[in-house]
Amino acid sequence: MQIVSVAAALAVWEGAARAGWVDPLFVPAPSAVGAAFRTIGGAALAALGDTLGKAAIAYAFAVVLGVAAGLVVGSVRLLRDVLNPFVIALYGLPKILVLPWIVLLLGYGTAPAIFYGTIHGLFPVMVLVVGAVRDVDRTLVTVARSYGATTWQLYWKVLLPAIVPSVLAGMRLGIVFCLLGVLVVEMFAGVRGMGYVMSSLANGFRAPELFAATGLVSAASIAIVLALDHVNERLSHWRG
Amino acid sequence: MTLLARAGLFLVLLGLWEAVGRASNPLLAVPPSAVLPALRDLLLLRSYPDLPANVLLTVREIAMAYALAVVAGLACGFALGFNRLIGRAWGPMIAALYAVPAVVWYPSLMLFFGLDAASKIAFGFLLGFFPVTLAVLAGIRQVNPHLVTVARAYGAGPLTVFGRVMVPAMLFTLVAGLRTALALAVIGVIVGEILGSKRGIGALINHAYGLLRTADYVALVLVTLVLVVGSDVGASLAERRARTWSES
Repeated sequence: MQIVSVAAALAVWEGAARAGWVDPLFVPAPSAVGAAFRTIGGAALAALGDTLGKAAIAYAFAVVLGVAAGLVVGSVRLLRDVLNPFVIALYGLPKILVLPWIVLLLGYGTAPAIFYGTIHGLFPVMVLVVGAVRDVDRTLVTVARSYGATTWQLYWKVLLPAIVPSVLAGMRLGIVFCLLGVLVVEMFAGVRGMGYVMSSLANGFRAPELFAATGLVSAASIAIVLALDHVNERLSHWRG
Repeated sequence: MTLLARAGLFLVLLGLWEAVGRASNPLLAVPPSAVLPALRDLLLLRSYPDLPANVLLTVREIAMAYALAVVAGLACGFALGFNRLIGRAWGPMIAALYAVPAVVWYPSLMLFFGLDAASKIAFGFLLGFFPVTLAVLAGIRQVNPHLVTVARAYGAGPLTVFGRVMVPAMLFTLVAGLRTALALAVIGVIVGEILGSKRGIGALINHAYGLLRTADYVALVLVTLVLVVGSDVGASLAERRARTWSES
């Protein structure tokens, strides 16, 4: 059913482009997009690799910092009461407003992309972790304490395992945000990467190549999210 | 106590910013003491006399994007939610599209709609459309089918069932989705303007940044933040009113 409706949409699109209802300068036929994959193929894959590499580094930073900061802010009551509104505000505000300043500070290239991707991915992870730590069953903490658990053991053996589902949910949300951040920087001030490739194709009115590049990034992103979902499912089986 | 600590933290951060800003390159870091005069000049229309026109353009883009997103999102959500066949065919695809960072569509939109307002409206629409559609789908799933059956059994027509049973039952989810959609439409328009535009508040920000007028840039960002926060406060007031209405 899904395959049929996608095929129908593609057929209508191809027909409309062939019949000249839409301007092929702006809306190329699917066959032209397919052919464009070949012309941009190697370069686009290299750019995609560049983008994904930056996103992976940003993602690692975002998850580690987000979980660590979320654990600290969530478990210390005073910090949580004072900082939580700031964290939620920073999560919601459009981070693009600070992007010009980041580019001024860090210049063009890889560093601003990683930095911006990190702050994009950090807050969703942190907000979820703070909420999860707050909602950890108090009895668990009390029992662990009364059996003489040290603070380190409390964090490592009680709190961290208890928040694993939220961390995974945050990781699933975070990867899309990190990728988004990296792509935005590449479009705004890029010299390499898929965001740069796409915006220069758009500026050059090379619609078939642009569509092919867009499709490539979308497919990569969907594949990554599906893979994370798969890992998630395996882990929840394992947790029982 | 916590309010006091929050205010204290805010002041400490401001002080830190002032100290660091004074110590470092004035082109890169502007302390609050330099932002205030810039903000005054901006608001008195000395540095950017065309600020009101640009803000108005941005607000109009946002309003247009949001209106389109709400109408299309509601239509699409109800079409998918009520029609099993379409819903099963396209529902998972909408969810998959949600996994794609939306900014990948922006270059294509710029190619279609040009550098003017239309491409920003289209991008704001795109970001706002998904939360509305998904909220409608989630809301329809929340409606207790027994309520619908009972209403039908008492002879209610489809319109009555829709207006009296379904809408009140799904209102919470729907209104939350509408609020998210507004926030995202605002972000979409601003992102679009910063990534490339000739007019609008984002174009002014880019102009100030490009000329290294960093104090003006920060002042413009503050003005934009007022716009962003203001729209969300308005949305949260509307959300609260809708809740009290549905509970009464």
